Amino acid sequence: MPELVPDMNPLALPGAPPSAAATPPGTVPSPDVGPSGVADAGATGGADEGANGVASAVTNEATSGVARTARRVPLASRRFTVEIRQQLAWHWQALILAIAILAGMAISAAILIAAGIAPKDLLNEFVMQTFFDKQNFEAVLFQAAPMIMIGLGASIAFRARFWNLGLEGQMIFGAIAATAISLYEIGPETTRLPLMFAAAASAGLLWALGPALLKLRLSVNEIISTLMLNYLASNFLLHLVYGAWKDTKDNFPHSPQFRAFERLPDVFAGLSSAIPLALFVALLAWWFVDISRAGLYLRFVNANPRMADAVGVPVRKMTLTAVLVSGALAGVAGFVVAAGQEGRLTQSFYTGYGFSGILIAFLARNNPLAASVVAILIAGLFVTGRSLQVFYQIPFSMVQLIQAIIVICVACSDFFIRHRLRPVVGRGA
Amino acid sequence: MDVLLNWLANSPDFAVPYALAALGLILTERSGVLSLGAEGYMLIGALVGVGAQLAFGAAGISLFLAMLAAAVVSLLFALMVITLRVNQVIAGLAIVFFCQGLSSLLGTLLNWTNQAIIGTGAVPLGALADIPLFGHILFHQNIVVYLTVPVFILVTLFINRSTTGLRLRAVGENPQAADAAGLSVGWYRLGAIVAGAALVGLSGAYLSVYSTKLWVAGMTGGRGWIAVGLVIFARWSPWRALAGALLFGCIEALIPQLAAAGVKLPQYFVLMTPYAVTLGVMVWVALAKSGADNEPGALGQPFVREERG
Repeated sequence: MPELVPDMNPLALPGAPPSAAATPPGTVPSPDVGPSGVADAGATGGADEGANGVASAVTNEATSGVARTARRVPLASRRFTVEIRQQLAWHWQALILAIAILAGMAISAAILIAAGIAPKDLLNEFVMQTFFDKQNFEAVLFQAAPMIMIGLGASIAFRARFWNLGLEGQMIFGAIAATAISLYEIGPETTRLPLMFAAAASAGLLWALGPALLKLRLSVNEIISTLMLNYLASNFLLHLVYGAWKDTKDNFPHSPQFRAFERLPDVFAGLSSAIPLALFVALLAWWFVDISRAGLYLRFVNANPRMADAVGVPVRKMTLTAVLVSGALAGVAGFVVAAGQEGRLTQSFYTGYGFSGILIAFLARNNPLAASVVAILIAGLFVTGRSLQVFYQIPFSMVQLIQAIIVICVACSDFFIRHRLRPVVGRGA
Repeated sequence: MDVLLNWLANSPDFAVPYALAALGLILTERSGVLSLGAEGYMLIGALVGVGAQLAFGAAGISLFLAMLAAAVVSLLFALMVITLRVNQVIAGLAIVFFCQGLSSLLGTLLNWTNQAIIGTGAVPLGALADIPLFGHILFHQNIVVYLTVPVFILVTLFINRSTTGLRLRAVGENPQAADAAGLSVGWYRLGAIVAGAALVGLSGAYLSVYSTKLWVAGMTGGRGWIAVGLVIFARWSPWRALAGALLFGCIEALIPQLAAAGVKLPQYFVLMTPYAVTLGVMVWVALAKSGADNEPGALGQPFVREERG
């Protein structure tokens, strides 16, 4: 294991000009000049990639000089300095991210193989069957619709620095409200679906209102409050489907089937209208986040709430708005699952969505358009997870494990985007 | 009267998991690391506890292995938050879901799910158990219930009275100052994470080995999260956490007693009570905002030496 040592070079005086820049261009520094040169460049923050052509070219030569010397040191005893990067070019960022995701997938694949899936079936199940089989790909898109909405919901709340872990609870209440409209036959047939949609959005919004106000008024930790509300919501759901709303036809714990006009219709064969709806919502979210004034304010809040407050951004109002939008989106996701996929209220339709939302927002860096793309991939993972469950008796929690491994790998890879490691030569090595 | 007696006698059994988990969390968080992984460590502890019990049949070994397993998993968390400076909320959530997935998968693959194990019963403490009323309530419990009290005393003494504990608190309050004083912030935090996770793992193993006597995926049912809430409620003080744990133990013990006494209550609303109470105490403590507050000053902030000054 390489040991990480902080940069403590006594030669690195703050404010001193980078000694690498003082060296005439084109000369290769001698090894004993190398280390102090590297340390100086880092300490003065002058190592910004491409900020200064001459300096960076010389620094690179200094580094290669260091690397040559460092090669003689055994890897185990080599020491590194950690420096904070100012900015990393986007293609390097993308490369690091890709390596992290690949590493996560490799670990997941190893676990699946250990769990008894033949390696040659793995590619077939995960890629070919899921994304290149017409029927399965339709299933993926179908699954992607609620996933996109959950991912957008998470992204918008996280933009306001609010850890909305209550997406599942908001989703449950969205589905409950939509089902209530269907059960009590509120409104004429033609407006039934829009009414269910509106009811779901407002129910999700209201379920998010509590923790948002508690956080803003009393600074109650929203991580705990939203999670506790999830447990309340899921028990209330069970109360309904095992009680008053139980289907009297088959006595199973789910609500009676929705009528045909209460279900999301197909746009054309095999393509549910849930998908265009999700894409439309994604566009709206993109407008909200990237174009509208509120989105600009949210960026202030996300960067630094106190600074935002000082320059006159309505921080509390923006946080509240973002959380309510987030709750409404989760509620709509519940409506899409109930009216699009299941056609009724079932007892565990929400499983796995909460963490998926967090994962999507995290991988997409809270960007709505990126979130939509990631959501489709996560939907693919869900569909594959179900087929693994049916054909290989692998529990569905495998999906959760894969998601967690990918989050861990990507979170760890951030270190290499934000920091630079340099081998230290001379002292200690 | 019988119902009341049974209720009080059962309460410690329900309180122990909360108490041990909250104690572990306090130990970790006093070093300035926000630990949200409790639910995950509890699940790992519960699974390994049952597995070891099926293999060896000795409760002591099962509890020890459960603590060890949770400590090993916490090394991953430590790697993320100490070495790689990952956001502690993201790292904690990832650990919870990692453990949920892993424990459920292993439980199925190893066929440990729903396998009843031989548990250990109550151990009456000699003559003390014969004291009318109190003897039955306090001294007719299993070993872990008795051990919880000395564990609490030891950990509290360690945090508040020992030099290492003082340094640990310094690291949690102001890592820059601790670093300048020559303490290794990383090593102190690593120790606190691993030791805290072991205690949380113990609480999970207690749940499966002593309370339910079997493993079911997701059997902790949010108790880890309640423990996180409990720590906030206790303002990071072990004794207040113990009092809170007893409160939750009493509430949870009341549910089966009411059912046994024939009180008709809507089942799912009754199951909501621990979560609703957690929410309630969080609001209450936010409204009260008084008394001693031991919240570590640097809670949740990664220590980055290069960014000092």
